[in-house]
Amino acid sequence: MLSYSSSTNSLWAMAWHQLKKDRAGIAGLVIVMLFLFISTGVWLGLWGNGWSDTSAQFNAHPSTSHWFGTNAIGQDIAARGIYATKVAFEVGLLVTLASLLLGLIAGTLSGFKANSKTDSLILWVMGVLDSIPFYLFVAAVAYALKQHLFAMHLAMIAVFWTSIARVIRSEVIRIKNMEYVEAGEAIGLSHFKIVLNHIIPNTTHLLLVQGTLIFVSAIKTEVILSFLGLGIKEGISWGLMIAESTQDIQAGHFANFITASGLLFLLVMGFNLLSDALQDALDPKSIGKS
Amino acid sequence: MNHYLRFVLHKLIEGIPLILGVTLVSFVLMVYFGPDLTYELLGKNPSESDIIEVRQMLGYDQPFWWRYLAYLQELLTFDFGLSMVKDQPVADMLSRAIPVSLALMLPGFVLGNLLAVMLAMAAARHRGAWQDRAIMSGAVLGMSISFLVIIIAFQVIFASSYGLNWFPVRGWQVQDAQGQFNTMAYLNHVTVPTLATVFVSLGYNTRFYRAVLVEELHKDHITTATAYGHKPVTIMYKYMLKNALIPIITRVMFSIPMIVISGSLLIESYFGIPGIGLITYEAIMAGDQPVLKAVVGLTAVLFVVVLMVAEILYQLADPRINGGSGT
Repeated sequence: MLSYSSSTNSLWAMAWHQLKKDRAGIAGLVIVMLFLFISTGVWLGLWGNGWSDTSAQFNAHPSTSHWFGTNAIGQDIAARGIYATKVAFEVGLLVTLASLLLGLIAGTLSGFKANSKTDSLILWVMGVLDSIPFYLFVAAVAYALKQHLFAMHLAMIAVFWTSIARVIRSEVIRIKNMEYVEAGEAIGLSHFKIVLNHIIPNTTHLLLVQGTLIFVSAIKTEVILSFLGLGIKEGISWGLMIAESTQDIQAGHFANFITASGLLFLLVMGFNLLSDALQDALDPKSIGKS
Repeated sequence: MNHYLRFVLHKLIEGIPLILGVTLVSFVLMVYFGPDLTYELLGKNPSESDIIEVRQMLGYDQPFWWRYLAYLQELLTFDFGLSMVKDQPVADMLSRAIPVSLALMLPGFVLGNLLAVMLAMAAARHRGAWQDRAIMSGAVLGMSISFLVIIIAFQVIFASSYGLNWFPVRGWQVQDAQGQFNTMAYLNHVTVPTLATVFVSLGYNTRFYRAVLVEELHKDHITTATAYGHKPVTIMYKYMLKNALIPIITRVMFSIPMIVISGSLLIESYFGIPGIGLITYEAIMAGDQPVLKAVVGLTAVLFVVVLMVAEILYQLADPRINGGSGT
């Protein structure tokens, strides 16, 4: 027991040590933290709350009072972009956490009971969900839920958990054949205890890496779905800003488009860099490959 | 040969639960829990018997499984009835749109994969050197830009008066006045969408192919070939690329159903090109159930079929791969 816990600690310590040396990874971490800070501020009501206030200044150029100018009905683009950061984090966190939970449960169950009926059933469900083109699936879910507020979130969760479940499944199959699990069974620990205390904790590094990947997919997908009219229903998001900016662009006003897509790009880029660095640091298989 | 035949048959049977699954999901979402269409088809002030008649016509009085079987029959016979918006048979709309989508997406798809393999080979050959780092940083940059942003930006840059204004802003006039296919007109309309497709797929593809090639690099026969003093280029093409073909073909095949639908959804709706993507987009906007259930069901089935064909092809290409699945 003791050696097991110290070995996990050393995995995290080693990973942190390696991450610190990864300049791109640290840059990603800083960017993500910065955006997290911005969205926490919005959530606490410190900034970005005037996102829906209109003014008489239409399509104004950037100035000290409107950092990124105003849109066609005189709303402050900076405030909208900042408020949308919170929306992006809400979508990202909700979808990521729910997908991780679902993927962890399904993946552990099907991995621990590999080649059983339960396993085949879970694999079948995953195969089915992976076979339906994603945007159509979202459209279908939105259709079935009659444009429900969380139709987009539910559809993303319903699709994204399968990739996590597959990763967890193969890791659980690998772990359960290890000696310490056999030892646990030999001393009479229940399956539930073995899974909860000795298998799941050894998948956390994979969950972290998969989580960053899901987060990126979620915010990128939100933008496209909101643009298609299937996404965010209340408030403002980068996707909705880009959708409204297509009108401005035809009139030669690019501030809305550049702000929304620039913020989106920075956050996705930050997460991509962080995710790569985490994979290098945490995935033992990547050691030795350059 | 008997062995192969058995294998093919086995794979086909294995695909049946998946096909039943995907059709069941699209049936439940689009038809069973979909909106009640009774009043869409009725005039004002319908009588009790009118309502019953329409509900019977729509099959709403039938049990769940019976309606599911009816949906399967629609998929098998390509008979989805009339579009609610366009008043045309859905099958006709689809058969006119599919060639357009293929002509639109194919060049970008082929170029995107070819360019990515070339970049990945360059990166893998100079592993760890500045060429590799430059290509891989470029890939991460490319992956971080949203497809939507690329489409909008490329339209502004190449097809608007704020940019170069070289190509038409939207539309798909690829025929001349006599109704003949015109290559110049085709190139004129296909270029900007192609550039956008290539740009968006390049980052992901390059990373994937580089990983595949680097994996190959670590194999024993490559080490042996290097030790024998074969030139790096020979090793790259003769020994590595050949072995890496299976993962490359898999990726290419699996992305076919996805690009036909998901890729063209954004491109076609934004550029106003009358392919599957635009039909689907309009059906989503209008809630046109006959079109949506046809597109969702057919693409899902197509994906499963591609999956089965891919596995059968591997078996023919490489007898070492046995019928194992799942893991």
